[in-house]
Amino acid sequence: MALDYTVTYSAENHYENLVKDAIWQFLIIPEDNDNQRVTDVQFNNSLDAPVSYSENSKGFRTIRVTPVKPFNDISFTANFRLVKDEMNPFDFVPPEDPGKDYLTLDSLEFRVDHDSYLRPTSYTTVPGSAELTFQWDNEKDIFTNIQALNSWVYEYLKFTPGITTVETTLQDVLGHRKGVCQDFTHLFLALVRKHKVPARYVSGYLHQGSGYFGDSQMHAWAEVYIPRVGWIGFDPTNNLLVGSDHIKVAHGRDYSECSPLTGVLYTLGENRTSHAVGVACQ
Amino acid sequence: MITATNPIFSCYEHDQAHYDEVFNAKGEIKKMYETLFELYCGHSIEDYILLNNKAKSSFFNQGITFQVYGEKETKEKIFPFDLFPRIIGAEEWDHIEKGALQRSKALNLFLWDIYHDKKILKQGIVPVDLIGSSANYLQAMIGVDPPGGVYNHVSGTDIIKHSDGEYYVLEDNIRCPSGVSYVVCNRTALKRALFGVFNHYRAHTVTNYAENLLEILQSVKPRGVDIPTCVVITPGMYNSAYYEHSYLAKAMGVELVEGRDLYVENDFVYMKTINGPKKVDVIYRRVDDLFIDPLEFRADSSLGVPGLFSAYRKGNVCLANAPGTGVADDKAVYTYMPEIIKYYLDEEPILNNVHTYHCSRPEELKYVLEHISELVVKPVDESGGYGISIGNKLSKQEIAEVREQIKKEPRKYIAQPIMSLSVHPTYIDESQSFEQRHVDLRTFTLLGHNEEFVLKGGLSRVALQKGNLVVNSSQGGGSKDTWVLKDKQ
Repeated sequence: MALDYTVTYSAENHYENLVKDAIWQFLIIPEDNDNQRVTDVQFNNSLDAPVSYSENSKGFRTIRVTPVKPFNDISFTANFRLVKDEMNPFDFVPPEDPGKDYLTLDSLEFRVDHDSYLRPTSYTTVPGSAELTFQWDNEKDIFTNIQALNSWVYEYLKFTPGITTVETTLQDVLGHRKGVCQDFTHLFLALVRKHKVPARYVSGYLHQGSGYFGDSQMHAWAEVYIPRVGWIGFDPTNNLLVGSDHIKVAHGRDYSECSPLTGVLYTLGENRTSHAVGVACQ
Repeated sequence: MITATNPIFSCYEHDQAHYDEVFNAKGEIKKMYETLFELYCGHSIEDYILLNNKAKSSFFNQGITFQVYGEKETKEKIFPFDLFPRIIGAEEWDHIEKGALQRSKALNLFLWDIYHDKKILKQGIVPVDLIGSSANYLQAMIGVDPPGGVYNHVSGTDIIKHSDGEYYVLEDNIRCPSGVSYVVCNRTALKRALFGVFNHYRAHTVTNYAENLLEILQSVKPRGVDIPTCVVITPGMYNSAYYEHSYLAKAMGVELVEGRDLYVENDFVYMKTINGPKKVDVIYRRVDDLFIDPLEFRADSSLGVPGLFSAYRKGNVCLANAPGTGVADDKAVYTYMPEIIKYYLDEEPILNNVHTYHCSRPEELKYVLEHISELVVKPVDESGGYGISIGNKLSKQEIAEVREQIKKEPRKYIAQPIMSLSVHPTYIDESQSFEQRHVDLRTFTLLGHNEEFVLKGGLSRVALQKGNLVVNSSQGGGSKDTWVLKDKQ
């Protein structure tokens, strides 16, 4: 059965000093893929500044806004409609012999093919001093281990909005064991990659009808490449496998490649920014 | 037989320990230099000093200057220029030219491979970690097809003549190699100062570089473009190579622009002109990778053009050189060049590579730590001669410091035997006479779509301090006009 979703994204920016030159790039349009189809994209800004569409380096659609007149305030609103197929994340055959898949992970061909998603980035580096109790069980298949890791991260960190920022490193997160979806995802990615399994950061929207964590911002989760199966989504913030409530926008090695908003501004002084996201299912 | 007794060379000390390009082991002038030597000997040292000072002020007045980074006060300096040219025979040059071209082609195929199929990594010929962990491997370039399939449109190959008389490549420069404007200026300056000497030798011109560069740039125009608009983009007048950027733009007859002169709309690049926007098709860019587009790379860059990378990715504009080439001129990749050439071209390397020890390999690390005094230790990712330590010039304490540095981050360092660069008689201000100084050679190779060109000449850089082996201009080097002879002897 297909589900109809409406996503609204809004952002408001206030600048203390007049901004004369600026350009914004939004990475917020849901991806078109095997189980979701975008049917409508609406984007407006309060200044009626010219809007254009492009793609980022991984081919995800971007929206650009280039104001032509100086301003102090600008707000953006986006509305997306999409159709999602209901999906069963367990829809694959578990391996009879998990050992084979571990051999795949070790093969040079596999390591080269997935190199980008196997390597730690600045956001996904576990400090050497960290003592993490998660135990990988080589007797069990990769998927089962990743699922256990998903639960482990969910238990290990406490969901606490406001304590971390987009610049927070794992070192700090592991210190206080608190954070939001980004931090859960980065820790999860770091540990999956440490076990030689490719994993990538996903940004998107979460339909919160079922009371999940993810607040009213964009959500983040991870996709893990399981040999013979392909990319499977895991949401460590909610201890879930990714399903119909997750609307994917983009993926990358970590947050830095999925940042919903990149702005290039030439201004001094303070600025205030606020975002809001809403997801409704018809 | 002429020997070095004439005033101009009267104080020339011939040290047997070095390979002298002009005098043989017995101190006799080599055949190729005989005529030149006679001509120079017709002048007294006073005449020479006068000419030399004139040449210097001409450089300064034309603004042919550069800046050295990292000094307390940054100031414009002229690139010291020596009036005694270096001559390379036709046969020797043939060898250099073929070798430089071979390397450039192999590097281009290597770049295509590591940003597409990664076959050389899958076959374990070049370690995947070396590429994947390199800060210069641009993830954004994976799967991108540069127009014409060309990455390193311009390659600067640094070559030396070792004491065995053989040429060795020290380094490939395929990001934004600079120096070619000095090649042209040196020729002009020498012609102005000593026009007569050119009547006695048939040397190839070097002033055709710009027209060839323009042809190469036009050959990699985006699909569907008939007559491409090319521009040169510079970080601006505070960049150390600004003179060169402006020279090349002028000589090619194209606009010299900064980031703020361009903008991107619907993935096409436009230049702001007084007649309105003009679409730009090929950009010879002299802005480093991470600064070309603040939306894709460093957001704090004000040198780039927002959206440029997406236009490039779509194939609507060509960037020369392509972003992400830095991964292949990494000093660690250099050590795999013989394998890279064999793999892609199925040829033996024409020019020698210097044997290299990788500190990332435990056994070689052990050797390096024990033999620092006999080796040159280099960081793999710095250019411009920074961070290099030359073993036989270090004190005991310095050796211990270098050893600690390497131990801390072995992956960051490689080591090579100390190559003894050939020497060339060079006029030294302090002693008012000619002395032996070490020289290297940077050649310039251009690759386009089904087109190639090697500049017949190059930048011979001279280490002006006695005994110094580092010839980079940023480290106090000078240069010489370099003649490539037309006729085989």
